[in-house]
Amino acid sequence: MPEEEQRDSKLKQLGRSVKEFLYGMAGHDMTRFALKTRGSMEHLFILITMGDLLGIPILPPYYSLRLLPYVVPQISTWKRRMLRERDLTDALA
Amino acid sequence: MNSILVLILGAVVIYVGYFIYARRIDQNVIQPDAKKATPAKMFMDGVDFTPASRNVLFGYQFKSIAALGPITGPIIAVQWGWFPALLWIILGTFFIGWVQDYGAMMMGVRREGDSMGALSYKLISPRARNILMIFLYFYLLLIMGSFGNAVGKTLMINPKVPLGMIAVVLMGILAGQMTYKWKQDIIFTTAVTVALTFLGIWLSTTAPVAKFFNGLYGLPESPVWFLGNTQAQVIGTLLVIVFCYLGSVMPIWSFAQPINYISFWIVSLGVLGGVLGMLIWRPGMGDFPAFTKFTTASGPLWPMLFVTIACGAISGWHSLVSSSGTARQLEAETDAMPVGGGAMFMEMFFAIVAFLTATAAFGGFQGYQDAGGAGKALAVFSGGLANFLSHIGIPKDFGTAYGSVFLTIMALTIMQLVIRFMRVASAELVGEKFPAMKNVHVGTIVALILTLVFVWVIPWLTIWSAFGAANQLMAGLALMLIALWAMSEGRKHTWALYPAAFMIVTTLAALLYLAYDNFFVKLPKAATAQAGIAAVLVGVIALVLVIAAAILVYDGWKALRKPQEKKAPAKA
Repeated sequence: MPEEEQRDSKLKQLGRSVKEFLYGMAGHDMTRFALKTRGSMEHLFILITMGDLLGIPILPPYYSLRLLPYVVPQISTWKRRMLRERDLTDALA
Repeated sequence: MNSILVLILGAVVIYVGYFIYARRIDQNVIQPDAKKATPAKMFMDGVDFTPASRNVLFGYQFKSIAALGPITGPIIAVQWGWFPALLWIILGTFFIGWVQDYGAMMMGVRREGDSMGALSYKLISPRARNILMIFLYFYLLLIMGSFGNAVGKTLMINPKVPLGMIAVVLMGILAGQMTYKWKQDIIFTTAVTVALTFLGIWLSTTAPVAKFFNGLYGLPESPVWFLGNTQAQVIGTLLVIVFCYLGSVMPIWSFAQPINYISFWIVSLGVLGGVLGMLIWRPGMGDFPAFTKFTTASGPLWPMLFVTIACGAISGWHSLVSSSGTARQLEAETDAMPVGGGAMFMEMFFAIVAFLTATAAFGGFQGYQDAGGAGKALAVFSGGLANFLSHIGIPKDFGTAYGSVFLTIMALTIMQLVIRFMRVASAELVGEKFPAMKNVHVGTIVALILTLVFVWVIPWLTIWSAFGAANQLMAGLALMLIALWAMSEGRKHTWALYPAAFMIVTTLAALLYLAYDNFFVKLPKAATAQAGIAAVLVGVIALVLVIAAAILVYDGWKALRKPQEKKAPAKA
């Protein structure tokens, strides 16, 4: 690769790093919170509809079974999150 | 000494500390593997565990750890002279600070993203987690008390500050609406709201606004309203309390988050302008003494200096952020050093800039004392920043108001977060016995009443020392956990164990000194009911923290001995 192109790509990389750093300081928290809110709502929905999987029957199984195909991709992460022990130090971060 | 020399010294320490010592521990002891799956990848749920690039996380980690601590600590600590303060900032970061931040992060990564509570349960003992929770509640309360005192009783009493702070809040709310409700472009939203915030800060320096707040506050020496506080201090703290209440009960997207976002720009531009002004001005320290005396208003140099400068050298708060916050987002194990270690070294640089606002911006020791000294550390910073900003053409009057708003929002962004945690903590700790505590408003109001008592009753230097001691003790306990974890993996652990021993001994000594000073010196001399209550409060909290820490250290010591006993050869 010619020297000029190499310098350009390094400059671009530096620019991208600075941009990411600024985003990390200014906006990453907001994005994380939006994701957390969405995730929590989804997990709450799965708990209501698929509670049987954790031993909490809330909805009649008929409806759970009809919704099951849509929820399958999220079941493993949902179970892990619901059953994970939490305390104040989890909330702090 | 010239300020530029101090900055160069800081840069050299960063180079040697990060590229030689820290990298050696990273590569030879911890041996991170770039190919190993991190919890962010293994458990990716798009909620708690989500991988992010190292540059993003570096910014996130730095923003999360740098608050009022690295600014206030060095400014108070120079009362012992500039040399011990600078030495602790540099050596503390070099040998202890990055060890804790990086160690807590790696520990989190290798232990499947466990939080500090879960780690203390698994590595120390089951009761360790419960004690940690009680310890944390007091720690959070001390953060509220010290930050609330600094803002409500020092910064807000300047009639040129409240409007600036109100402008930040209003523009934050506007930014939230523009982003989430009206779906406006983020660059446009940022430009409009940040520009309007600056307009608000400028308006706060104008004569009619200052006159209005002067009228509201009354004369400085006049009416003592409540518990020895002036009218201005009572109004200032009440404004802070209202802000924290709204921050705790309002939806986070509409209040806390957009205000934090606007604050980021205000603070970053202030730091950038201040450093630029310093580089142009290149002031010296004048007659600022290298060492003043061993015992000052804050107490003896050892152990009090080491708890006065917290975040600039080492801080327990960082371990909480590093373990369950950043560790769950690392894309690769090899990112832990640049993110955890790098952010800590950068914070050291930030602390050095704050140190220079006290030592170099006023031309000498007398100037520092005239600006407020250790007793009004935040006023010193805003005055120093204004002096630096004046060298890039910003009027001093505006610079002082800007510096004060800068510090106010730095403190308030943390306070509104802490009050949320206190609400969650009280619901968790006593919610079963007192169901009312599970109510958002009740939990918040109880936490705010406790905060008000701390702010109105306890003097500034005392509460800062108590907060610093709790913070540093948390750091000592985190380092102990890191040493235990390293040992459990069969790695060298002295790099974390020796700093842990130093921090635990020093902070326990500081807490015992605080208990002694309050029970046996301040309480008998207390001339008012307020002084008596303050002495008892601080003394009791210091003792509770000492007992909690003693149990944790005892359990930790037993856990440390366990594997060694197993390894000892059996007798024939």
